[in-house]
Amino acid sequence: MSANGKGQLLMRNALLLLYFCGSILFVTGCWDRTEVNDLAIVTAAAIDKKENNQIELSLQLFIPKSLSMGGGQGGGGGGGGGGGGGQITLAASHKGDNIADALSKLQAQLPREVFWGQCKVFIFGEKAAREGIQEHMDFLLRHPEPRERAFIYVSEGDAKRFLELSSYLERYSGETIREQSKRKLGIQVTMQDLDEMLTGNAHVAALPYLKIRKEKQTLAKSYNYPDLFATAVFKKDKMIGTLNESDTRGVLWLRKEVKGYTVNVKPKSQKGEVSLNPVSARVKLIPRIKGDEWKMFVKINTEGAIVQNGTNLNFSDPKAIKLLEKAYQMGIKERIEYALKKTQHELKTDIVGFSDEFHRKYPKQWKQIENQWETKFPDVKVIIDVQAHVRRQGYINKPGGMPEQEVKK
Amino acid sequence: MEKGKISSLQMAIMIYPTIVATAILGVPAITAKYAKNDLWLSPVLASFIGFVTVYIVHQLHKLFPNQTVIQFSEQIMGKVGGKMLGFLFLFFYIPNIGQLIRSYGEFIVDSFLIKTPISLVMGSMVLLCAFVVNGGIEVLGRVAELFFPILIIGLIILITLLSPDFEFKNIFPMFEGGIMPSIKGAIVPSAWFTEFFLLIFLLPFLADQEKGMKYGMMSVFAVMMTLVVVNLSVYFVLGETTSSKVYPVMNAVRYISLADFFDNLESVTMALWILGAFVKISVFYYVAALGTAQWLNLSDYRPVIWPLGILFVEFSFWSFPSAMETSRYDIIAFPIYGFLMQTVIPLFLLVIAVVRKRLGKKSKLS
Repeated sequence: MSANGKGQLLMRNALLLLYFCGSILFVTGCWDRTEVNDLAIVTAAAIDKKENNQIELSLQLFIPKSLSMGGGQGGGGGGGGGGGGGQITLAASHKGDNIADALSKLQAQLPREVFWGQCKVFIFGEKAAREGIQEHMDFLLRHPEPRERAFIYVSEGDAKRFLELSSYLERYSGETIREQSKRKLGIQVTMQDLDEMLTGNAHVAALPYLKIRKEKQTLAKSYNYPDLFATAVFKKDKMIGTLNESDTRGVLWLRKEVKGYTVNVKPKSQKGEVSLNPVSARVKLIPRIKGDEWKMFVKINTEGAIVQNGTNLNFSDPKAIKLLEKAYQMGIKERIEYALKKTQHELKTDIVGFSDEFHRKYPKQWKQIENQWETKFPDVKVIIDVQAHVRRQGYINKPGGMPEQEVKK
Repeated sequence: MEKGKISSLQMAIMIYPTIVATAILGVPAITAKYAKNDLWLSPVLASFIGFVTVYIVHQLHKLFPNQTVIQFSEQIMGKVGGKMLGFLFLFFYIPNIGQLIRSYGEFIVDSFLIKTPISLVMGSMVLLCAFVVNGGIEVLGRVAELFFPILIIGLIILITLLSPDFEFKNIFPMFEGGIMPSIKGAIVPSAWFTEFFLLIFLLPFLADQEKGMKYGMMSVFAVMMTLVVVNLSVYFVLGETTSSKVYPVMNAVRYISLADFFDNLESVTMALWILGAFVKISVFYYVAALGTAQWLNLSDYRPVIWPLGILFVEFSFWSFPSAMETSRYDIIAFPIYGFLMQTVIPLFLLVIAVVRKRLGKKSKLS
């Protein structure tokens, strides 16, 4: 009886096991799978405004074939044709009423499905930016594939050109632009940042402004490269102007985004210039309201290292350091003042984030002028206080390659 | 009926994902809509309802130690009244599970399996939960015990990875509009806290009954802390845009990027969330099955599991016409409906039971 029961149990278990193992055969795949080789991977996208109120959507698509042919066999040295010779991306574009429309028309041209997940660069053409980007942002934020961390830019002229630009060190121009942004030489704005700026207090936004620069070479062919040090300034969602490279740097100081670049300063009563690298920068914005007067104290504490010394100063001497620090302070202060002059008095847009600071510290007063910030902002008095220190001098102390007698004592 | 026993810790571990799983999905956005940058306070205020509910549940449980609400409401309200009330509870929970399964399906279909029919997503989950419920409360307790650490550790890891992107000043100025915005923001999460009423179905099966209250309260506290931390992290990253997102936690986690290769972690959130939703649906499913069986005076709840499963899937289709309606229901109807069914009616029952007991004692004495 019990033996029989055991046998039955064993039989049952064996059958169950068989059933489970057997069912594995049917769960190997998914009937609507999309493999990588069914995707057209977008590496960068550009949106331009065209006539008849249409937009043109251009996508930089990655060509996987180029990778398996060139890179796969030849390794690092492959693609010997040089620079932009072997095409690794394709810029496909189509017009439409809006992004969704243009995309569906563009999709019809492509054998593979457009995939946005790897797209980390979105560029708006200047014309599109001037007419407003809110509608385009809706598409990008609503669609589940585009990443919040993708960088957004405005380009001088047509944005599409940047997708066709050949690239030298990186594989394609989208990647070049992205890597440049990551070095934080210009302002760096992700989709999430832009969304926050557009919905934020001041109703303004700033995006990096891309230009194409041509570098002439004497023997070799001249080459083009993207330049993103300028800034496009937006009021609401419409672009109203630009800041040049040095103003952008001033803005970077105020936005606390300043990172390794070289400052050239001219110490007083000296002929040459000294180059410094800011090592660290602490920026504090302290708002103060007294009666009707709104003030903003900008406190900057920065430390720098000497990169090159073109004067005859010997920085082992504390007096020389003092002189240099003074010049360094003035240099930064001037930068910021220029930038403020431009943003505060000419463009009258608060892209430096003063509104948030006032809002945080004086919520009540802020409430009263919330809707008039645009007119209040130019009246804010800015007091800049820079503490600059020079901490390091590199491997040599006296000016390099200069006879002892010429060094200033 | 149910012969299994669980420990009070297991109970707490079961109820935690039951509340948290769905509360961290869309609720931060709804809270942010009303409370703005004071959204971190809202769960603290909302948890008050949770503590009250657990207290009511425990008092009721002390009066009727071995019975669930379906059974003892007959003793409090009489045979007919009790059955009617029992029906009300079942009619609250069964459509509620349908909605739960629907929002689970909507989320998965919305962000991942875009082309998969939603019925498949929902049906497979119901099937899985049916197996767990069929295993009884002990299996349910162990499933929760197994997944709870994964859920917690996963959540902690995600928040840690997100921390480099925190903008702490996003939450200032605090209390700009006074305390009212955070109270308004607390209304929706409070509906989630009323779900602690589910404990009434679990307490009779505790091996260590005296600890039930303690662990229940601890669970409320843990849920509150989780919501505070999640709300804060989301707001630190997304700022004012939090309220415009449908699944803000998802958006925040997508923002994680470490060393340029460690990114696109939303599938991790997804996995964690499926674990949570699985425990949640299972607990609700179990409660519905047990309640239905008790209401019908069946000797076992297992025969009603499969019919109920079909009913859940049906209700999931009937519940909402669209994804937009889901959050509208969460804002407009659920706070009142949930509060009424899971806190007010139990309180009402408790008051009647206590008064009846006093009167009974008095009449005995005289």
